[in-house]
Amino acid sequence: MFNRKLKKAAALTLAGIMTLSLWGCGSGSGSTSESSQETVTDPAGRGTVTVTMGRQTTANPKFPSGDSYEDNAYIRMTEEKLNIDIQDEFEAESGDDYNRQVSLALSAGTLPSMMKVASKDELTELYENELIADLTDVYNQYASDYVKAIYDSFDGRALDNVTYDGKIMAIPATASDAGTSMCWVRSDWVESLGLTVDEDGDRCLTLDEVRALAKAFIDGNPEQAEHPVGIAFNASLTGGTSDGTNTINAIAYALGAYPRLWFENAAGELTYGSIEPEMKEALSVIRSWYEEGVVDNQLGTRTWDDITSLLTNGQCGIVFGSWHIPDWLLNNVYTLNDKAVFTPYAVVSEEGKVNCTHANATGEFVVVSADFDHPEIAIEILNLFYDDLVNDSALLEAYPDVASYLNEGVDGTARPFNIEVKSNTYLLDEYGFLKAALAGEGTREEIPTAEERSNYDSIKAYQEGSGDVTGWCKIHSRTKGVDLLTYLTENDLYNWVTPVYPETTDTMNTSWANLQTLEEENFIKIVTGAAPLDEGFESFVSGWKAQGGDTIIAEIKAQLEQ
Amino acid sequence: MKSKMLKPLNKSRGQSSFFHLFVMPGMIFLLIFNYLPMFGLVMAFQDFVPAKGFFGSKFVGLKHFRYMLQLPDIGRVIRNTLIIALGKIFFGMILAIAFAILLNEIRMKFLKSTVQTIVYLPHFLSWVVLAAVAVNLFNLDGSVNQILSSIGIGKINFLGSNQVFRKLIIGTDVWKEFGYNSVVYLAAITGIDPGLHEAAAIDGASWWKRIWHITIPGMMPIIMLMTAMNLTSVLSAGFDQVYNLYSPIVYESGDVLDTYVYRIGLVGRQYSFGAAVGLARSAVATLMMVTANHLTDKLTGQRIY
Repeated sequence: MFNRKLKKAAALTLAGIMTLSLWGCGSGSGSTSESSQETVTDPAGRGTVTVTMGRQTTANPKFPSGDSYEDNAYIRMTEEKLNIDIQDEFEAESGDDYNRQVSLALSAGTLPSMMKVASKDELTELYENELIADLTDVYNQYASDYVKAIYDSFDGRALDNVTYDGKIMAIPATASDAGTSMCWVRSDWVESLGLTVDEDGDRCLTLDEVRALAKAFIDGNPEQAEHPVGIAFNASLTGGTSDGTNTINAIAYALGAYPRLWFENAAGELTYGSIEPEMKEALSVIRSWYEEGVVDNQLGTRTWDDITSLLTNGQCGIVFGSWHIPDWLLNNVYTLNDKAVFTPYAVVSEEGKVNCTHANATGEFVVVSADFDHPEIAIEILNLFYDDLVNDSALLEAYPDVASYLNEGVDGTARPFNIEVKSNTYLLDEYGFLKAALAGEGTREEIPTAEERSNYDSIKAYQEGSGDVTGWCKIHSRTKGVDLLTYLTENDLYNWVTPVYPETTDTMNTSWANLQTLEEENFIKIVTGAAPLDEGFESFVSGWKAQGGDTIIAEIKAQLEQ
Repeated sequence: MKSKMLKPLNKSRGQSSFFHLFVMPGMIFLLIFNYLPMFGLVMAFQDFVPAKGFFGSKFVGLKHFRYMLQLPDIGRVIRNTLIIALGKIFFGMILAIAFAILLNEIRMKFLKSTVQTIVYLPHFLSWVVLAAVAVNLFNLDGSVNQILSSIGIGKINFLGSNQVFRKLIIGTDVWKEFGYNSVVYLAAITGIDPGLHEAAAIDGASWWKRIWHITIPGMMPIIMLMTAMNLTSVLSAGFDQVYNLYSPIVYESGDVLDTYVYRIGLVGRQYSFGAAVGLARSAVATLMMVTANHLTDKLTGQRIY
């Protein structure tokens, strides 16, 4: 009797559990696709077209009250201008939530008319399953010259990324080059110690100059710190982007080493930057600096925050990083010490050039469903937001709601396409207007973006004596950081290298984390002298190759041949 | 403790099942948060893709377990884990027992409770906080190194040297936990019949002799029990402690199973692999628990279950 009851209870519980878990798995896949089936193809007279969308959202979009993702100023403008009706098939926050929605749509085989895709792998899968429309013709026919010029500024890298078998299969977001990792130097220290930096005034330093400067800072110790440190680096020494902060990237690049990047070496062979002989040279330089005491003697055990406190405590006056670190890292220094002034320098190779790598073309795309009859609408939305809205001030006058969105900083996810499409040099272009306005050669009104206008205001206020940290930051990041990038570009000091950005391969899935560990551990050991330079590097390279590196190289080669 | 177990209340089933209802919320809690998630263990045998869920992901059998054993660093990681975990168990117990015995000798109530509170305190602090303290104390410019260099020993890079890192991990953990762990031993000591001590004292046994022949044998069942319980954690060397103190330099001596799986599994988003390692570890823990339980039962007649 009891036994039977127990069995029944167990069965019920099991059933309950299974229902619960089924319910958990099923939720979210609820709505099914109802892409529009209009037949008129003439864009001018094509009646109102319903466009269903997959929208990526954010937790706090800052909408004015009453507005939502499906009904906001941007959407209203789009619907009116293009005579369409936008309906959100799914909305999900960026990250895993959104990617799950895309995967579900993919596995169900029913896509909304248009949606954002946040990974190249998914784009490839969509193409291989023939779920997305070929946009080649509509792009060529409808994209405005300005939009085409934006994509062309990437020398084909942006569109190549979405081109399969010669067909443009998606609208790619753009990712501008990050520029070099700069050597930010406390110029108030340079002054107080009576040093001369960059005698020739080319805003570039050689490796020897960097070393000498760090040594002079330790010896001079201008803030009488208890334990002055020359240069501190992160425990994982290298960064995967050219502008890596707290990394040895600037030094490695100057020696022709491109850590963590795939590219074709001088012999035309695909290789991984961290295993090339140049990387060993870069490590040997840091190793000798470490021995000499120029590099932090606690290299490897300092966390990011530790390094930040070295800077704020006045123990360290040199830091490597991208043009924007004043905005989020060096601001901490100014907050504690309003006399702090930094100047960025580029680190040059023996040939006097600044080696830099192009950024990965893009990882975000908008795709159009193969079942959608009006793929040209996608291009029209592209033109509307990334050309007209930027260049046509009449549009903003006609849609004051949109203008106020821009001024109030409503999140970009509110736009029908949550992607950025900007020229490769947009940062420098926008800065050009700011620079002109600051120099009195232009006006505040001529500055095209709200962000740069607010930078202008902060800088002006600081110059008038506000002492505000934002002003200090913008002066450093814009008039020094971006200014240096502009200088390098204008004076043709860059030596650009184009890496290969592969899709994730099978072996990467299983071995990449392990190979990264191997790399980080060996590099830090070599640099700190815990492992010998020659043997240490050799054993790293052979270990890296044996533990999956060689297979990955072969896989990437196969990818490239496709 | 079989003999000391409560005897079932002599009441009718109807009445006692009413009282069983009080256990329900706890049981439901346990079911939802401890038993239901166990279903997720199937992902250890799948190539789990979150978007496809448990039912859509492909079954791959023991692939992830094989992969785990083939990983180049797995030997080193298991060695580190065992050394650190066993070190913590061994030294932690010795110190806790010694501390309990010594504390028991203090007659001044106020002093006793003050000392007790002070040594308990670190147990209640998270390693995130204590790691920051430890780093400040033990880094090259820290106070410990300043003392060492001022007495002529020279600086030791505690956090960046493979020779001392494990000792630092074990030492700081023992320091953090010994006070709290001593509670159970203190209780065991109070359970010893004072008559034994009095008799021994009258017979002229010294303090040492009494500790050796009365206190420690009296504590033995608890000591065995605690050893058995602690041995189940032989493959967990304390993620939050190691993670907050280690760096690539000391992977060689300090990388433990938890941190390794974290780096490979979570950061690399290999959910199935992470689940496989977790399952393997639970299997080892269960094995340890059963063995230890059996052993203590044989040796002392004391069992956990």
